[in-house]
Amino acid sequence: MPGQSTGRPVAAAPPSMSVAPAPAVPPRTTPVRRSRVPRLGGYALLLPATLPIAVGLGYPLVVQLIRSFQEYGLAQQFGRAAEWVGIDNYVALLTDGYVWTVIARSVAFCLANAALTMAIGMALAVLMSRVGRAARITLQVAMLLAWGTPVLATMTVWQWLFDSQYGVINWLLAEPFGMSGMRYHSWLIEPLSFYGVATVIVVWMSVPFVVFTVYAGLLQVPGETLEAAQLDGASEWKRFWLVVIPMVRPVLFVVALLQIIWDLRVFTQIYVLQRAGAPTRETHLLGTYIYSLAKEFSMAGAMATIMLVLTLALTAFYIRRMLREEEL
Amino acid sequence: MRIVRKAAVLAIGALALTACSNGTAEEPGDDAPATADADTEITLWLNGGDTNDELRQYLIDTFAAETGATLVIEEQDWNGLVPRLQTALTSAEQTPDVVEIGNTQAPTFTNAGAFADLTELYAELGGETLLQGFVEAGSVGDQVFALPYYSGARAVFYNKDVFAAAGVEVPTTLEEFTQAAITLQQANPNGVANFSGFWFPGQDWYNGLPWIWEHGGELAVQEGDQWAGALSSPESQEGLTEIQRLFTEGTNAPRDADSNEPWVPFNNGEAAMFSAPTWARWSIDLPECNKGVAADDTSDAANALRAEQQACNESKTGIFPLPGMEAGTPATVFAGGSNIAIPTMSENQELAQELLRIIFSDDYQTMLAQNGLIPANTDLASALGDDVYAQAALAAALDAKLTPPAERWADVEGERLLEDFFQQVASGADIADAAATTDQLIADTLN
Repeated sequence: MPGQSTGRPVAAAPPSMSVAPAPAVPPRTTPVRRSRVPRLGGYALLLPATLPIAVGLGYPLVVQLIRSFQEYGLAQQFGRAAEWVGIDNYVALLTDGYVWTVIARSVAFCLANAALTMAIGMALAVLMSRVGRAARITLQVAMLLAWGTPVLATMTVWQWLFDSQYGVINWLLAEPFGMSGMRYHSWLIEPLSFYGVATVIVVWMSVPFVVFTVYAGLLQVPGETLEAAQLDGASEWKRFWLVVIPMVRPVLFVVALLQIIWDLRVFTQIYVLQRAGAPTRETHLLGTYIYSLAKEFSMAGAMATIMLVLTLALTAFYIRRMLREEEL
Repeated sequence: MRIVRKAAVLAIGALALTACSNGTAEEPGDDAPATADADTEITLWLNGGDTNDELRQYLIDTFAAETGATLVIEEQDWNGLVPRLQTALTSAEQTPDVVEIGNTQAPTFTNAGAFADLTELYAELGGETLLQGFVEAGSVGDQVFALPYYSGARAVFYNKDVFAAAGVEVPTTLEEFTQAAITLQQANPNGVANFSGFWFPGQDWYNGLPWIWEHGGELAVQEGDQWAGALSSPESQEGLTEIQRLFTEGTNAPRDADSNEPWVPFNNGEAAMFSAPTWARWSIDLPECNKGVAADDTSDAANALRAEQQACNESKTGIFPLPGMEAGTPATVFAGGSNIAIPTMSENQELAQELLRIIFSDDYQTMLAQNGLIPANTDLASALGDDVYAQAALAAALDAKLTPPAERWADVEGERLLEDFFQQVASGADIADAAATTDQLIADTLN
């Protein structure tokens, strides 16, 4: 390492580097100082990244935590003193059976969606690495369009597709397929069918990210390794599960982790579908439930903190594993 | 981590500083002169386009003439208004000096202390002649904080040809109305698939309210300092039974739709009646009247065709105020509209009061009426005109009622409790059970 870093600049840019002291300094300083100076410099380099995060993320988080222990509503926003209530907000929420229903629903929705997204995404990525150029480009363009269209615009289209009066889906089912009972079917009014529609939309929107990331991972698998496995008599199936998958596992881990986080805090899709006519209370997930509490800032803060803990609990396994793999 | 914590402390410190500067805002003295130079500027927030350019220009010109100061009008969107007000009204730098707010949102902000006390000004600006339901929405006890701005009420539009073909007359009582819807739906004179006698989607609680109110029921009542849901009361239950009958026999509208754009199925011939604010007349576009004029064609010929089309639509469409329990009386319907108030944080209280005097002047109130809005001052409502639309609007509005003036009513709407409840009623749920559950949820939210 030192040889590389000192050798290259000198060769590449002699005029400007002639006064650069960096390569020359280390040999002259004492060992103690040498280890301290770069360290402080390293921290200073972290500062530009840390500061926006602290202000943009840390500050709201601290305020959210503080408020969650207060009674803080609109009146407090207009200057009435906020009263400290200890853990009352948390007790009120955690003793409410409805909150547990929402948590259970959210976890189930999140796991089902993340699993489905991963399965479909991986399948499509493998497909993409095996088909010809024209088919691959068509797939890629379709994926990019699904990924790139603004959420609210796509939600409007989906909403129209599933509209009970004028929707294309109902028309298709009733006219060409002859299921006349489905002509005015309401997709959103039953919670289960509501979550079915939501799953279709959420999975459709998140699959492209998985496809592209996994596809990039698959391209990194060296052909020689696969060829060697083939010579050793490994079947196509075995080569995929025992060679390819272990090699792209770090990628799969990161993608799955992100999917779980994203699907747990899903908001826009659920919110828009609720406004399109679903029974609100029976279809709340964590995101929309917190939003519905938002006029009582303290309650919303407490619920958001509970959700944060839940997210950490769900992903702790992954994060630990990822950190361990990084250390190796 | 240490860096993170330090930054957070810094950020909190910065916020505390700005909070302090808010607190030192200068209070204008009571005897401050109400006139000022043109450099003094006050801001009025109006929502949506209901107050048209002519009205706005009148306010700007009159305000300049009377006070010498400048009035700036900023238009806000109704969507997302509540969060915007939550932040703007708490800061002396950002707050408008006079603000329009939806009538169902008014109690929340009034109780939170967002508005300045207008009790002393109340009598001067109209007192008892102002729309009393709106005054109640803007009051806490005997103190008035937000005054009515304008109101708009719903009336029933109907297709005259379908009525004639089905042999149905314009109903004169609420009972007859339900019967008319059922008869129309059964008759379905044009043989349209999925035909509705009355367009009544499952989440449309605004249009269901008259049945509850006419039978003597309420959404919620105040008992001491607590609120209780009142959907389980025998009176409300009677009204809800009628509503369920209308849902099951008088409409085929989807249970998962709300009151948005009810004229779409009407224009398609899929509904014989719908209920909407009277300005919906401009959205009626029956196929038999459509002249196929391009929307961007502004030639004289196109305008003539458009006028002909509108006349045709209006000749084929009738309108009546929803009838009440007794023949000849209008039903108590839901009053849409808005309130107007001066934020406590405004540093121009005197000038803001001057603006209110102009808004509540006979001249401006008359202009509001001429533009189809029901003015705050009921004495001047006659300026609405005397065509059928104005008559229906006026009949409906004078008896119109608001949602309960509870501090947290906006939360009930935010949680969509009534949308859910009406949807259950529309889906054939047991009314008593559904009402008991919803009453509990309403009580939990309001207290």
